[in-house]
Amino acid sequence: MFIHDLNLAFRSLRRNPVLSALMIAAIAVGIAASMISITLYHARAGHPIPWKDDKLFAVTLDIRDDEPPRSFERHPEYPPFQVTYQDARELYKSDIPVHSVVMFRSGQVVTPQNKGIKPFGVSTRVTTADFFTMFDVPFLYGGGWPRSDDDAPGPVVVLSRFINEKIFGGINSVGRQVVLDGRSYRVVGVMAAWMPRPKYYDLNGWGGWEIPEEVFIPYGWGRALKLSPHGNTSCVRRNAKIDGNDTLFTQECVWLQYWIEVRNLADRDRYQAFVDNYANEQRKHGRFPRKNNNRVVNVPTWLAMWDVVGDDSRTQLALGFIFLAVCILNTLGLMLAKFLTAAPISGLRRALGARRADIIRQHILEVIVVGLLGGAVGMLLTLGGLGCLKVLMFSGRLAHSNNPDRIALIQSFVHMDIPVMLAAIGLSLLAGVLAGLYPAWRIGRLAPATFLKTQ
Amino acid sequence: MIEMQNVSKVFRTAEVQTHALRDLTLKVEPGEFVAITGHSGSGKTTFLNVAGLLEELDGGRYTFDGQDVSRLTDNQRSGIRNEKIGFIFQGFNLIPDLNVYHNVEAPLHYRRMPGPERHRRITAALDRVGLSTRMKHIPSQLSGGQQQRVAIARAICGDPRVILADEPTGNLDTTMSEQIMELLMEINAAGTTILMVTHNPELAQRVHRQLHIVDGRIDQIHQFNPLQRRPAATSLAG
Repeated sequence: MFIHDLNLAFRSLRRNPVLSALMIAAIAVGIAASMISITLYHARAGHPIPWKDDKLFAVTLDIRDDEPPRSFERHPEYPPFQVTYQDARELYKSDIPVHSVVMFRSGQVVTPQNKGIKPFGVSTRVTTADFFTMFDVPFLYGGGWPRSDDDAPGPVVVLSRFINEKIFGGINSVGRQVVLDGRSYRVVGVMAAWMPRPKYYDLNGWGGWEIPEEVFIPYGWGRALKLSPHGNTSCVRRNAKIDGNDTLFTQECVWLQYWIEVRNLADRDRYQAFVDNYANEQRKHGRFPRKNNNRVVNVPTWLAMWDVVGDDSRTQLALGFIFLAVCILNTLGLMLAKFLTAAPISGLRRALGARRADIIRQHILEVIVVGLLGGAVGMLLTLGGLGCLKVLMFSGRLAHSNNPDRIALIQSFVHMDIPVMLAAIGLSLLAGVLAGLYPAWRIGRLAPATFLKTQ
Repeated sequence: MIEMQNVSKVFRTAEVQTHALRDLTLKVEPGEFVAITGHSGSGKTTFLNVAGLLEELDGGRYTFDGQDVSRLTDNQRSGIRNEKIGFIFQGFNLIPDLNVYHNVEAPLHYRRMPGPERHRRITAALDRVGLSTRMKHIPSQLSGGQQQRVAIARAICGDPRVILADEPTGNLDTTMSEQIMELLMEINAAGTTILMVTHNPELAQRVHRQLHIVDGRIDQIHQFNPLQRRPAATSLAG
């Protein structure tokens, strides 16, 4: 019976090819619009490290002056997203976390020993040793450095796979020397492919849509080499100001990212209490003029605070679905017209002994076929649309990047993965059924005798 | 075979009630060939639709093949239509994009009949109406008479107890009408009960009995060729 109904569905589509094509096109356009918005949303809305939801936390302290919010502050209810050097140093003394990381992003120049390669700039993460363990960084060769290399900084470096490829041709370079800003560092580790999306541990710049840094050196080098932070430095007290690199370490300016990893949520609560107690103590010395608004937040909350998936993404997604709904309504109208045109044949089938359920099932199968064909065409339109978006939005960045990780990141924005494709198939089926359910039901309810004289 | 007692059918709109059948009482014996005549709007087609379980009746009692079918569910009526009734229409009512074979096959599908059995019945039915060489033709490639013969093959392939024919020769010329009438009489002679609506008085006089309907009631009954009981009937199912 299924084969019979399927055969009837295709015959019915061929009987009125223009109307059938219009229905398929309407669903295809709706599917394409919604799939493009889902793909873009999906690329932004991913959870980069879900297995550490109850262990990994960003730490923020509300050190701001007790003044009304300034007009440009999008979320005045949140404390600054970074911490001062002084606070970072005090927080780092806590033994509640199993891992603590204080860090910032900077930049250096690599001078390869191979004279055939010209010196080139790299992005550098200046960080404490726990970075690699805390964020589950995979290694191709070697590993991170010990904590003892943090304060009295050891001349050690971790390279990204791309930089190792560029300088050493991809071999195991552990133990080799790399010259950064004229100073020689020993390679202790080479990272494997690693692209947290978004780059949640530091969301400054590009809203986190950037690849991880290419070089990692111990935190102590930041002060020793007076490396300037490449990111957001914000002086949050009215009497604070930056006057040279040294003042970063003395002024009430936030520029360091601070993360902890705890064993469980109870430890997270203990740490929150520790932070609040610290703020209370500091208040006695004239700091932290506001009531406590310090936050120790997990990654999803952190991403939400940063508006990583912003209102524009959600609006775009909603518009995609609204457009699909409009297309479904249009298809419903076309489907109803088509089914009613063929009502005499359905009446005849009823006279020949088809039950209502037979007629409804036959028509439902037809709308499913329309939905799937619409979905298949919609998938092609989606791929075409995403290809156009790639050219329009990212062609400049792609043209100027020779880093395969960066290219992969950019392409991931416009890449339909398996879950999104499955969503497209499901959506096509749903669209077809939604568009055809009422017309199929309506045609099944018609009295069989109605059209027999006129057929 | 068919027994109606005080059957009535009313069509209602917001403003008008039309009594299509009024207290119609009738008995049709198995194997009988009955012609139903009457002016346009007299209720002939409504009678046929009620008899064929295509319309529900509003009053009275209807017994079909020994079963009270006055208040059956839609599914039950579909089942009886499929297994016990064959329809022939004035406009042939063939499905235009299906070939002859698949048009005849349509009712057998709804009986969930296995493929080989369907094939046997279809070829037998098309043989019987003389169209076994036209199986692959679509209706538009056939003459009116041939199309009506396909419709007859579709009606008989399920081996029905009753055939209901609504002006089966209405769209055909005299020669073709004669061929179709001959075919129907042959089918009836094999034991199938036939009720035929017709405007043609000559055809009406060739059957066993003629019922004349006026305003939804049987006005006159003419007995032309009383039914003679046959010792045995041939059937496609055999």
